[in-house]
Amino acid sequence: MTVADADKKPLLIVMRQSPYGTSLAKAAVDVALATAAFDQLVDLLFVGDGVLQLLAGQDSQSLGKKNIGRQLASLPLYDINQVYFDAEAVSRYNLDMSSSPVTAKLLNPQEMQQLMVAYDHLLGL
Amino acid sequence: MNTLPAEAFDSEGFLRDLSQWDAEVAQQIATAENLQLTPAHWEVLNLLRAYYREFDSSPAMRPLVKYCAINLGADKGKSIYLMSLFPGSPAKIGSKIAGLPKPDNCL
Amino acid sequence: MILHTLNALPSSAAFGDCLKLLQPGDAVVLLGDGVYAALEDTSPCDELRATGVELFILQADALLAGIDRPAEGCNSIGMDELVALTERFPRQLAWY
Repeated sequence: MTVADADKKPLLIVMRQSPYGTSLAKAAVDVALATAAFDQLVDLLFVGDGVLQLLAGQDSQSLGKKNIGRQLASLPLYDINQVYFDAEAVSRYNLDMSSSPVTAKLLNPQEMQQLMVAYDHLLGL
Repeated sequence: MNTLPAEAFDSEGFLRDLSQWDAEVAQQIATAENLQLTPAHWEVLNLLRAYYREFDSSPAMRPLVKYCAINLGADKGKSIYLMSLFPGSPAKIGSKIAGLPKPDNCL
Repeated sequence: MILHTLNALPSSAAFGDCLKLLQPGDAVVLLGDGVYAALEDTSPCDELRATGVELFILQADALLAGIDRPAEGCNSIGMDELVALTERFPRQLAWY
């Protein structure tokens, strides 16, 4: 399966960390928003533990941290509209995607493989 | 009149302790930016604060424009309108006056 | 096709996520803690080979870990060959 060069998209960020265990999830969100703020096309794929960033009702205030869930809710305002979730991980963690701060398409592993080769660049965080 | 000392602001004029913000502090910051706040300014400042509560971040220009369009109507959801209120960098100057942190994604 | 640099223990989430996304035509370079996936007759090694990817291991990291004979099908490479791989593959993804 090949994707014509003309149809390739610039950047897919592969988000695969839990939101607060490390600073990587925050860094990934910052990269995504900054990239979009400079009018670059960026799409997101949440894989594995990364889907934990999508839990509704995160409350980071008592820890004085930035709320990743609420920041992700601003993706549409940055025109980041293509967002994909790892369906297996969503089901492994029994997440209710109807309450997720982000709306996205659920993909199986084969669909994720196909998605990744449609981009010029991949960034895993 | 409640005015804060110079130490309350960082080198770029952003409030260090966001809880110190009120309407008078907003005018103090605006004066330092050579701006007189009007109801039109306040409409956007209140929206910036709502954005911060909703998304836990200060917006860059693009999401601010879009957020204004959604909440204030298409006429006000234009960068030219925001530039007329907060000349230069509306997202940055607006956030500063609204008592929010400097937007991460703003030069 | 994608060049994956896999620098994570076989027990880690990163390893499992990477495994899930591998497809024939991809290449995997084991480095850092990833080299333990080159231990022969282990399930992580078998699972990697079953994906049909080209498998490489960074020799210096393997030797450091005490793996002087990587599993069959896993080619030892040095830095020059790693650089050549990055030129061969249009996109890369780091797992750590």
